[in-house]
Amino acid sequence: MRTKSKKTFNDYWSAYSTVAILLLMVIVFSALKPKAFMSVNNYIKIIEQSAIYILLACGEFFGIILGGIDLSVSSTMALTGVVCAKLMVTGWHPILAVLVGIIIFGAMIGALNGTLINVTNLPPFIITLGMQSVLRGLTYILSNARSVSGISVGFMKSVAGKIGGVVPMPIVIALVVAVIMIFFTTKTKAGRNIYALGGNPMSAYYAGITTKQHRLLCFVLSSVCAALAGMVNIARLGSAEPNAGTGYETFAIAAVIIGGTSFFGGQGTVWKVVIGAIIIGVINNGLNMVGLSSYYQQIAMGILIILAVTLDRFFGASSRK
Amino acid sequence: MSLVEMKHITKTFPGVIALNDISFEVQPGETHILLGENGAGKSTLMKILSGAYEPTQGTLVANGIEYKRFTPKLSQENGISIIYQELSVINEISIQENIFVGKMVTKKVCGIPVIDKAYMRKRTQEVLEEVGLKRDPSEMVGSLSISEKQMVEIAKAVAFDAKVIIMDEPTSSLAQEEIQHLVSIVERLKSQGRGIVFISHKLDEVLTVGDRVTVLKDGTYVGTYNIRDMDEDKLVRLMVGREIKGTYLKEADEEYPDETILEVENLTRKDGKARNISFSLKKGEILGFSGLVGAGRTETMEAIFGAAKKKSGTIRLYGEELKINNTYDALCAGIALVTENRRETGFAPFFSIKKNIAQALELKESSFGGMTGLISPAQEKKVAEEQEKAMQIKCASLDQVITELSGGNQQKVILGRWMASNPKVIIFDEPTKGIDVGTKSEIYKLMRQLARQGIGVLVVSSELPEILSTCDRILVMGEGQIKGEFTSANANEENLVRAATS
Repeated sequence: MRTKSKKTFNDYWSAYSTVAILLLMVIVFSALKPKAFMSVNNYIKIIEQSAIYILLACGEFFGIILGGIDLSVSSTMALTGVVCAKLMVTGWHPILAVLVGIIIFGAMIGALNGTLINVTNLPPFIITLGMQSVLRGLTYILSNARSVSGISVGFMKSVAGKIGGVVPMPIVIALVVAVIMIFFTTKTKAGRNIYALGGNPMSAYYAGITTKQHRLLCFVLSSVCAALAGMVNIARLGSAEPNAGTGYETFAIAAVIIGGTSFFGGQGTVWKVVIGAIIIGVINNGLNMVGLSSYYQQIAMGILIILAVTLDRFFGASSRK
Repeated sequence: MSLVEMKHITKTFPGVIALNDISFEVQPGETHILLGENGAGKSTLMKILSGAYEPTQGTLVANGIEYKRFTPKLSQENGISIIYQELSVINEISIQENIFVGKMVTKKVCGIPVIDKAYMRKRTQEVLEEVGLKRDPSEMVGSLSISEKQMVEIAKAVAFDAKVIIMDEPTSSLAQEEIQHLVSIVERLKSQGRGIVFISHKLDEVLTVGDRVTVLKDGTYVGTYNIRDMDEDKLVRLMVGREIKGTYLKEADEEYPDETILEVENLTRKDGKARNISFSLKKGEILGFSGLVGAGRTETMEAIFGAAKKKSGTIRLYGEELKINNTYDALCAGIALVTENRRETGFAPFFSIKKNIAQALELKESSFGGMTGLISPAQEKKVAEEQEKAMQIKCASLDQVITELSGGNQQKVILGRWMASNPKVIIFDEPTKGIDVGTKSEIYKLMRQLARQGIGVLVVSSELPEILSTCDRILVMGEGQIKGEFTSANANEENLVRAATS
């Protein structure tokens, strides 16, 4: 006999909490600054600013879904940006520069992260913390601690321009990546395996999943997403800054957590993480509008991370046994 | 007067009677052996004595006072000290600190209490001498051998004047001369008027160390006897003497082709936990692996399944040599392992029943380490429904999360997962652990059915009745090696226990 199980508040909470937070934020800022905040132009701006957060968060998702973390995304973003810019400055065609400097190089960084974690069996926290520092150092050395300018204008226009003068390219890129990741996590076997691995690595292994390969794949995806964020960043700024993205791993982690991903691994959905990233964008934009400096934004972000995880503990998926 | 007495103790867990009317007492100056198979209830009884569990019925008496239950504190105050098989010393601190951990002695300096290191050092030296451990109190425990760590634990008991010292399988990881030393220390503690409770499987040891023995069997009390009236034969009979209910053996007239499914030759694990394992599995038969916990049975299966590294040996399936480097290779080759611990190594905890069932087939049908391909919801649904029927899984919906099911139904989901992947050999490791009686017999029937279909069935079980009633042939393992082989015709509980404890 089959019965439909009754939905509890917890079920609703884990399904809609992210959307609810987004709406709440929009309402709060709209009430505080109705004129400045509530305009189409500002909404487009928010979404454009959110593009980098979306890309970083889509990658970070794969670190956290394993029950781990990737702290190196911010440095990866800066380093790949500098490498891509340097390649373009030395005369490479932008497409080739993106392919080598962003995609391939980003994948290599992720492969290194994943291999180190697999070989040493250390927590991803340790390895990626170390890598964060190593990659940032490399970025400064490679750029002589100066911004790399002279990026091809065609590249800037096609990556950071606006389609028909309205739709910003960064958000198109971010959403395309997000759709690919949503497809990957929900429709492919490898994506399914990653959830199993994050839920319980031992039982995943005993079920026949190649745990090391899948872990490697997760960190490759994380770094490639971060590299794409690096690409968007240099296109928007018109130059590659060696200190780009400093501290952005906090935004990425916050987006993933606010997006309802369990910090203990195995549970989470990419589309909610995308909303989580937009929430970060709204908060940064809104606080600007209200006239608070970026220092307050950091405080807000920190509080939000703690709050989101606390609420998840009580109402979310991990509150169940 | 006895040091401590347990009167008519009964302990029930939901659905299980762990202990049924057990009485047990310890006299000053005696070594009292607690004997019984795995699962007989020895640990549960000792946990009641240490205050970890509350008895459902019965009382405890110490120092003339009758208690409904012990708390850990009360147990300690009555001089009861337990030395667990998994030693509980802290490696990162010194011997002296280990002995006084949580009970630091202080003295007052200018009215402020400070740790009295000098006293603790002196006291540690005394008790170390008493247990014959020639080490400085300041040495780190991490640098000691297992035997020495055990001595530190005994010294700790002595330091706080324990009257009853319980040793849970203290010799299981000791070398011969270390056992000699332990026995001499036990004798000395006894002569000081302490009572020793000694839990062991090794019959020869039991006969040399013990004064009295209490035998438990399936949570019931068999009796308490003087060791001098006992010999190995009598002990074995007391431990296992029970009726076997319901057998799932093949009928006598069933004939199977003389075809070998699986052949394992000289299999040795890299870590040595299983060595020189050779056996073959014929079509239609169920092959059992008996032995004590830690005998290397699970370890052997892990090596076959690719979950542990092999040093040497070959595995052939239908005559073809297999190259198995990980569990994915095993899955693709058609070897399935139903693990002992469902929660830790069994299922994907956040997955629905459907996703859990479809998992193995989906992996097997993909390539490149199980990373390619898309999920087919239609196939997933079909496979899950088939297995729900075949395994008679009781659930509200296949979209329920697996953790909402009972242990027996979870086990059926795991079985369904493997069956969906069409295995050629399926290994059951303690398949009925923590499972209710009804589901148990369903699983036995399933095993026989699989064997009839020509799927190779290996069973690891510590429960003798289970292995005797389900298997056609039984290999007994001990210390990582195969110690004996029996057919269903000549196997009985006595000779299995004897082979395992020899």
